[in-house]
Amino acid sequence: MNNIIENRDVSSQFSLIQTKGTLDWAYPAFILASTAAVMDKEVEMFFTFYGLKTILKNTQNLKVTPLGNPGMPIKSPIGPGWLKKIDWNQCLPGLVWTMPGASMLATWGFKKQMLMQGQVPIDELRGLCLELGVKMTACQMTVDLMGYEQDQFISGIGFAGAASYFAQTPENQSLLI
Amino acid sequence: MLIKLDTKRLACPMPIIKLKKCLAQNSKQEVQILMELTDAGGLKDIPAFCQQQGLLYELVQQSPIIEFKIWRQALPKS
Repeated sequence: MNNIIENRDVSSQFSLIQTKGTLDWAYPAFILASTAAVMDKEVEMFFTFYGLKTILKNTQNLKVTPLGNPGMPIKSPIGPGWLKKIDWNQCLPGLVWTMPGASMLATWGFKKQMLMQGQVPIDELRGLCLELGVKMTACQMTVDLMGYEQDQFISGIGFAGAASYFAQTPENQSLLI
Repeated sequence: MLIKLDTKRLACPMPIIKLKKCLAQNSKQEVQILMELTDAGGLKDIPAFCQQQGLLYELVQQSPIIEFKIWRQALPKS
């Protein structure tokens, strides 16, 4: 893989700050990061607050919920065509998503839909980012604040503060997710 | 040498990751890659990627499967 990144143009950088810790917010970050890396950009990702959850070894706790998330279409990944077209987040009252198991069901449907669309599981996509040379840094302050231990995180990442992140990232371009 | 690269049923960004890997694995050779994809975004993404990476490309077919032929620019002879 090293020869994939040997021609990297260090003047072309992309940086991203991940603050969200749900599965639907983890995908865009790793999709953008891997795409930028493949296009020879120097990519830095900084994970802070709930975003730390997206770089834990265990991805089982990454979930999605339609509760308070009106932009999220909830469609059945299985069943006849007419059923798959219904957006349940528009049809059902928000109260429904407070029911026990609603988040688990939405997460199951989301994962199934992503795989059916040709997307890879989140841990595989995250591994690809590291393989492509994306630099990931976990915010040490929030690691301590959230009570995480360093060995709970995937290997290949660094631990530092925001100052270290800003010292290494472009002057005028960062994306906050 | 013509290499067939099957990225059918894979969504963004996997097709260009596979293309990048394929190019890296054949870095020393004069290769032509025949890339097959079903991700509709690839119709614009593959040309954008090729232009940015200095590759040449040709859209072979658009349906039912998108096919691109991709190759490196020949180095000027000194």
